[in-house]
Amino acid sequence: MIEIISKTKSVCPICLKRIDANKIVGKDGYIYMQKSCFEHGDFETLIWEGDLKSYLDWAKLSKEGLSPTNTKKSEKGCPYDCGLCENHKSESCCVLLELTNRCNLKCPVCFATAGEGVEKDLSLKEIETQFDMLLKRKTRKGLFNIQLSGGEPTLRDDLADIIALGRKKGFSYFQLNTNGVRIAKETGYAKYLKDAGVSSVFLQFDGLRDSTYKILRGIPLLDIKLKAIEYCAKVGLGVVLVPTVTFNVNEDEIGAIIDFAQSKHPAIRGVHFQPLSYFGRCELESRTKITIPRMLKHIEEQSFNKIKASDFSGGGAESPYCSFHASYRRMSDGTFKSLPKKQDQSCCDVSNARNFVSRQWSGPSIVGNTTSCCSTKDPFDEFIENTIRDTFTISGMVFQDAYDLDLERLRRCKICEVDSEYGMVPFCSYNLTNIKGEALYRK
Amino acid sequence: MTDNKVYYTVETGDNLICQKCGIPLVKTEAVFEYLNNSFPVELPACPKCGFVYVPEDLALGKVLSVEKVLEDK
Repeated sequence: MIEIISKTKSVCPICLKRIDANKIVGKDGYIYMQKSCFEHGDFETLIWEGDLKSYLDWAKLSKEGLSPTNTKKSEKGCPYDCGLCENHKSESCCVLLELTNRCNLKCPVCFATAGEGVEKDLSLKEIETQFDMLLKRKTRKGLFNIQLSGGEPTLRDDLADIIALGRKKGFSYFQLNTNGVRIAKETGYAKYLKDAGVSSVFLQFDGLRDSTYKILRGIPLLDIKLKAIEYCAKVGLGVVLVPTVTFNVNEDEIGAIIDFAQSKHPAIRGVHFQPLSYFGRCELESRTKITIPRMLKHIEEQSFNKIKASDFSGGGAESPYCSFHASYRRMSDGTFKSLPKKQDQSCCDVSNARNFVSRQWSGPSIVGNTTSCCSTKDPFDEFIENTIRDTFTISGMVFQDAYDLDLERLRRCKICEVDSEYGMVPFCSYNLTNIKGEALYRK
Repeated sequence: MTDNKVYYTVETGDNLICQKCGIPLVKTEAVFEYLNNSFPVELPACPKCGFVYVPEDLALGKVLSVEKVLEDK
């Protein structure tokens, strides 16, 4: 007898038609999503490699946030009216501006399917229009964090102008989503980014083996990644490592990546894991997804229990099943101590998450020991500065694809792609593709 | 407390009177403790009952900022 634990809506992975879905406890005790398309048959996807209690406990502290303002009317229902529509339940934290679809890599996996089709860069005028649109949709407490994305945004030579334009409009946090190739290869480019006002470098970093890069990125890239980190550290640009964790490719590198990141802290501010989702371009054969409990088990085992699964919490503003995070403080002996979890996860607005990211992922203001005989700061200021510098984050986001899309989760999405036609589209609907690679929104 | 340290200091002025004892507060050394961290301060306190006056801008300013940097998102 199959135990149905809840009902939701999803889509058919073949025709993307909205269909009913059940979350069930499988024979192995894990949680699955089951759904049927009248035309294309039955689908079952593993969504939680843990028992029912752990699944329910994960969401215990989560509460819905504030819904966005200035939404449009829903006519066709989710996920066909994104932009955002009146059914959306969470304000946004971070928005992605895809500045170009050009790329200097041709990765076998790429959610943005970059480097294909007609090359297109957004003009400064189009970017200004997007900033203005975001200003009209600002949240109750402040403006969105901006992620400059693509394609590969560093292929543009006007990032300084784009950031200056954004700052003039009032935005203050600019995260650069990059593969790091130009930072590593071009002398002085890291300094250019720092001077341009980049707050944090969100660096594609899949592991410490070239074989991993060959599979996920098509070429060996480890030396490039290490150089990019070194150059960012030299100029005080905060780096967050972003590994795409993939079944049977780099799952066994999770512990080594964290070790490496901690060895380069505070220049490396944290690691943000992104288990591979099957949308956009994906030339890998496997369609196995890595769930949150599996990620946490890997982290615990590969850190030899120095980092515990129990250190982690689910998302605050977004659905708890979309993300996991924990913060650590580097102690004077070089070890990392888990910071207490926030007991109230309600995050009545997303400004908490937005401020946390902006504070913790930006470059440390001072690298090294600030406790000196000549400090002119009072103990509070000194403590704040040292705490920000010494904090290290481990987090991850589990994106949804056509196999496991849960429209309840989607309605709480706080990461949006900016699109000139649609407005602000939740990341997982913007990138959603069917098995033929056809998208609902991405052109 | 050593001389080369910088403290968060609040001057007493003439208008702070202990409500319980009815005498003026005087500048006193005190230590704020929060999650095993100590913050030496100099705040107005009653010399008789020891009541320490914490001004609003300290509680809602620096102390709140300390609390915030220790918060996980």
